[in-house]
Amino acid sequence: MAPQPRLIEDHIRKNKFDTLVICMFMVILLFSVIFAIGYILGAPPILTMMIGLPIALFYIFITYSFSIQSVISAAGARPVNPQNREEKLLSYKVEEMAVAAGLPTPKVYVQESKDINAFATGHKPSDAIICATTGALQQLNSEELEGVIGHEMSHIRNRDILVMTVTVGVVGAIALIAEIALRMMFFTGGRSGGDRKGGGNIIVLVIAIIFIILAPIFSRLTYLAISRRREYLADADGAYLTRNPEGLAKALEKIKADLPDDPKGSKTVAPLYISNPFKRALRDSIWSTHPPLDERIRRLRSM
Amino acid sequence: MDLMLIIGLIVLLIIVVVLLWFFSYYNRVIRYENRIDNAWAQIDVQLKRRADLIPNLMETVKGYMNHERGTLEAVTKARSAVMTAKSPQESMDANNMLTGALKTLFAVAESYPDLKANQNFLQLQDELTHTEDKISYSRQHFNDSVMQFNNLIETFPGNIFANMMGKKERQMLQIPEASREVPKVSF
Repeated sequence: MAPQPRLIEDHIRKNKFDTLVICMFMVILLFSVIFAIGYILGAPPILTMMIGLPIALFYIFITYSFSIQSVISAAGARPVNPQNREEKLLSYKVEEMAVAAGLPTPKVYVQESKDINAFATGHKPSDAIICATTGALQQLNSEELEGVIGHEMSHIRNRDILVMTVTVGVVGAIALIAEIALRMMFFTGGRSGGDRKGGGNIIVLVIAIIFIILAPIFSRLTYLAISRRREYLADADGAYLTRNPEGLAKALEKIKADLPDDPKGSKTVAPLYISNPFKRALRDSIWSTHPPLDERIRRLRSM
Repeated sequence: MDLMLIIGLIVLLIIVVVLLWFFSYYNRVIRYENRIDNAWAQIDVQLKRRADLIPNLMETVKGYMNHERGTLEAVTKARSAVMTAKSPQESMDANNMLTGALKTLFAVAESYPDLKANQNFLQLQDELTHTEDKISYSRQHFNDSVMQFNNLIETFPGNIFANMMGKKERQMLQIPEASREVPKVSF
C-alpha cells in the first residue's frame, strides 16, 4: 500500500466504521461456525438458531462485561498512588493527553514490572483505563512517557479498545466451539449420510468440516492483522496529539533496547500493550501481534 | 399513469434523502459547535486553576526569594492580567505572559537550594507545569475543533446549508512562537 497523507478526522471516522465492520464480521464468523456445526450434526437450522445463537450471544456478553476486570487482574495492575511523585506525574500526563484528545480522563493504573510497557483497555472512552508499568515510569523521561500515553489515548479514541475486547472474546469462542465440535464429530462420526438426500450433501459436509477446522486460524489471523494495523494508526494519531513524533520514537527505541524479561499478564491480552510483552517481532510476520519496532520508529521519524 | 407514479416516487425519495442528509448535517454542525464551546470552557477552567495556584506559590517563595522582587512582581502582574482578560485571545496572551514570568521564577529558584528542597514548592512546581501543559493541550484541542468546524461549514455541499443556518467561520487561537508544529501524518 502506497503511503498517502490523509486528514486525521477522516481516518478516525473510517476507523470507527472499520470497528463496526470488524465486530460484525467476527460475529458473523462465529454464527457461521455454529451453523456449520449444526449442519454436520444434522440438527435442523431452526434448532441450531434456538440453541447456538443464544449461547454465542451470552458468551460475547460475558466476555464484554468482564473484559476490563479480567485484563486488569491478569496484568496484576493497581490504581495509581498519588503520593508517589512518578505515579502522580503519570496521571498528570494522562489528563493532559485526554484534554488534547477531547476525551474524558481515563482511570490510571500501574503495573509492577521492570519492563517498559503500557496498555489501554475498556469498552468506550468513558470507562477506559490506561496502565503503565513501573519500569516505564522509571526509565522513560517526560517526553517519552507523553508519547506512550498519546499512543494509548489514540487506541481509546479510535475505539481500538472495543475491537480488541470483542475480537479477543470471539476468537476465543470460535476456537473453543470448533474444538468441541471436532471432538464430538470424532466420537459420534457425525450424522450418518442416510438422513440426507443425494450425494451433493457429502461435499457440503466436507466443506463444513474444513470450514470449522479453518475458522479458528482464520479468525486469529484477522485479529492479528487488525492489531498490527491499529498499532501504526495509534502511533500516528499519538504523534498528532503530542505534536511530537520524536517522543514516541525515542520511547520505542528504549523499549527495543530493553528486552522483555519480566512479562506479566496473559498472552491473550498481549495485543493491548504498546509492544508485545512476551516477544519482540523483528520481521513482519502474519503471526505477530505488533509490527516490528524498527518499522514503527522509521515511520514516526518520517512524519 | 404508471410512469407518473414512478416519477412521483423518485421525486419523493430524493426529497426524503435530502431531508435526512440535512438533518444529520444540522446535528453535526451543532455538535461541532458545542465541542468548540466546550473546548474553550476547558481552557478557561485551567486558566483559573493556574491563577488560583499563584498566591500559594508566592506564599511559599516569599521567605526565600526576597531579593527577587522584580521576578515576583512580574508573576503577580501576569496573574491579574489573566484574571481580568475579556476575550479568549486576551486570556491566551495574558497566559503566555504568565508562562514566561513563571519560567523566569523557576529558573531563578535554581540558585536557592533551600527553596528547591521545599516539598511544598516542588509540588506547586509540578502542578503549575501540569496546568500549563493542560492549557496548551486544551488550546490545541480547541484549534483542532475549530478547524473541523470550519471544514464542515465551508466545504460543498454543506456550505449551502451552513449559510442557511447562518453559521460563520470561527477563529483559531493564536499559538505563541515556541509552539510545536503539526507533524505531517502519512500512512
